[in-house]
Amino acid sequence: MDAFLAQLWIARWPLFDGFLMTLGISVGAIVFGTILGCIVGIQLVFAPLWLRFPFRIYVDLMRGTPLLVLILAAFYVPAVLGLSLSAAQAGTLALGLFAGAHIGELVRGSLQAIPPGQIEAGRSIGLTFPQILANVLLPQALRTSLPPWINTGVELIKGSSLLSMIGVGELLLKTQEVIGRNFMTIQFYVFAGILYLVVNIALDMLGKSMERRLGARL
Amino acid sequence: MRSSAWKVVAGLGAVSVALVFTQAAQAAGKLQEVLSRGKLVVGTGSTNPPWHFRDESGELVGFDIDVAKMIAKGLFDDDTKIEFVNQASDARIPNIVTDKVDIACQFITVTAARAQQVAFTVPYYREGVSLMMVAGGKYPDFAALKAAGGDVTVSVLQNVFAEGMVKAALPDAKVDQFESVDLMYQALNSGRADAAATDNSSLRYYMKQNEGRYVDSGFSWNPQTYACIVKQGDPDWLNFVNVALRESMMGTTFPTYKAAYERWFGETPSDPQIGFPAEFR
Repeated sequence: MDAFLAQLWIARWPLFDGFLMTLGISVGAIVFGTILGCIVGIQLVFAPLWLRFPFRIYVDLMRGTPLLVLILAAFYVPAVLGLSLSAAQAGTLALGLFAGAHIGELVRGSLQAIPPGQIEAGRSIGLTFPQILANVLLPQALRTSLPPWINTGVELIKGSSLLSMIGVGELLLKTQEVIGRNFMTIQFYVFAGILYLVVNIALDMLGKSMERRLGARL
Repeated sequence: MRSSAWKVVAGLGAVSVALVFTQAAQAAGKLQEVLSRGKLVVGTGSTNPPWHFRDESGELVGFDIDVAKMIAKGLFDDDTKIEFVNQASDARIPNIVTDKVDIACQFITVTAARAQQVAFTVPYYREGVSLMMVAGGKYPDFAALKAAGGDVTVSVLQNVFAEGMVKAALPDAKVDQFESVDLMYQALNSGRADAAATDNSSLRYYMKQNEGRYVDSGFSWNPQTYACIVKQGDPDWLNFVNVALRESMMGTTFPTYKAAYERWFGETPSDPQIGFPAEFR
């Protein structure tokens, strides 16, 4: 144990950098994915059929592809087309596109769960469609999407470990680098596992408390 | 109508100009591209000492790293003008093919199958399997191990070929497989195994870290050649890298190669022979 703590102390900064990278990429991907997902979700419900179709294809393609394949594709396909993304950029793009499709489906489901009578009621008091969306539909839809949205965030944080495959210096790769030097395989993998667990539990608790606060206002 | 026709013409013109420029860039070749960029982009790993790994301060170090620095030194007379791209072992060839990196130096074993996809440079190391024993132990060298036959236990890193690999050198020995490198060495230290068999470079590095505690059996087998890889179809770039590497092993920059070799493998490579160039003998 002392030997492990000594090695941990030596490796504290690389591991901390990796931890920050994991958080940064996850936050970037969830912000990007949430913006994208809101647009996609609204289009899937309200856009005319011809416009709905490409969004449907995007969502099904992203949800039907393993995340690792998406990451490798985001890293190599732009390079073949002459656009060179750094590993971290490609990884964030892949995670964001993946999250966008999942969140799009969440938003679609939440919007469709709202009784259509509310749209009609909005129209009858003279609201325009953007006003109905902003004041009637989205506040309710986003509230119902919150628990599965937190789930998506947890999935993204875990999924970010796959970026070690394309050489992004996130927590898992930094852990592997430390293990490569000192051979303390089990100790450092367990340590990384605990860090992931702590972040995910914290995110989960944050979600629960937001649900309680928003739920009280329903 | 006329204005839109002009737009099409202008668009085509812009595209063809762009194409001409990209073709000009390609025609100038990788060597010019790297020189005008001012840094060499090298693909390598970060988890395998003594080849490429991060030291305690987080710096990328190792023999592959030093080899890459020799090439950068040849390009810019400055071995710090390198950007290392971290890549997994299975990304070595894809990253070359898609131009993510100029060159990859990542203990790449030369095989004919790989040579169909990428161009190998001249080799800079020949890997093999060696046996290590505790200094002053029961078996001083390979002849003693071989003579002991079935009484010898060899610890080895677990893999599909491990058993066959050991038996190729010691047909009667018992083989104990371990799932990690530290367990394999521990078996040797605790006396559960009489010898540990693993990559010659790993053994050399480990012996260097633990000066005087272990001895090499003096026998190595399973040769495999390590070389860097570059993209196919650019002979000038390949030739430049070959010259830089060859001269670091045979010519003016030998002291750098020698220092790196001593640092990572704890051994001094023999000096190049003066007179007739030995590589043409």
